[in-house]
Amino acid sequence: MRTSLNEIKLIDEHLFKSGSPEDGLLFDALLILNPMLKNDIVWQKKTHQVVRQYGRKKLKSEIEAVHQQLFHEPKHRSFRQRILSFFSKSG
Amino acid sequence: MEQHNDFGSTSAEREQLFIALYKKAFPAVARHVSKMGGSFDEAKDVFQDALVIYYEKMVNNSVTLNTNEQAYLLGISKNLWAKKFREDSHYTALDALTGDCSFVEDDARPSPAKILNYLETAGQKCMEILKAFYYDNLPVNVIAGLFGYSGIRSATVQKYKCMEKVRETIKEKSLAYEDFVE
Repeated sequence: MRTSLNEIKLIDEHLFKSGSPEDGLLFDALLILNPMLKNDIVWQKKTHQVVRQYGRKKLKSEIEAVHQQLFHEPKHRSFRQRILSFFSKSG
Repeated sequence: MEQHNDFGSTSAEREQLFIALYKKAFPAVARHVSKMGGSFDEAKDVFQDALVIYYEKMVNNSVTLNTNEQAYLLGISKNLWAKKFREDSHYTALDALTGDCSFVEDDARPSPAKILNYLETAGQKCMEILKAFYYDNLPVNVIAGLFGYSGIRSATVQKYKCMEKVRETIKEKSLAYEDFVE
């Protein structure tokens, strides 16, 4: 892998604390040699945050699609009625 | 990261699991929320947030398979409901509950919604790959199959290439949207 991709791998291992102790030492050395790496760590952390937002957004839309299925398709009628009965005024 | 995901690797597989979880666990949650004076929509909101939390815990191995999923989902939902009731702000419930995660804290402050919208259109393939690796936590051989890579190695290289690309985009966009970012 190119050097920049290896750095990304090392930053990931640093963020997830998943690398070997040797990799950790190598990372510390790289940080001293290349102060810009600190910047990359910040942006990579931010990227993980954005990926998580993206993942959640997609997951939520999958869950909403399931909800729509359960509350609109005829085959789930008895389930739907059971749930709605909890919220009916007379119930 | 440990590779583990019992929710399946495709949206079709997840759909089946969410239908099953809805049927198993939503009735108890709906009953609880209705007893507490909540509406159908409020029950739906807390349950859907609980499903997201459950999913994230499952794919990261924080919940064991032996856990009774119905009881677990009811527990999270009750918590979310209590929180919502106390704070009367149901949109913050999910983030507040997962606030212990290190990625929630904010170092730079780009405009997240704008950047996300941009990435959804301009970098969708990479976002899907990164999501599969980091959010869904799928095994790399499964990801290689899903995205048509010849093997584990090329899928892994692609992951880092995408990380580099998306990271650069976020950096550029953040600097463009904000005058100064630390």
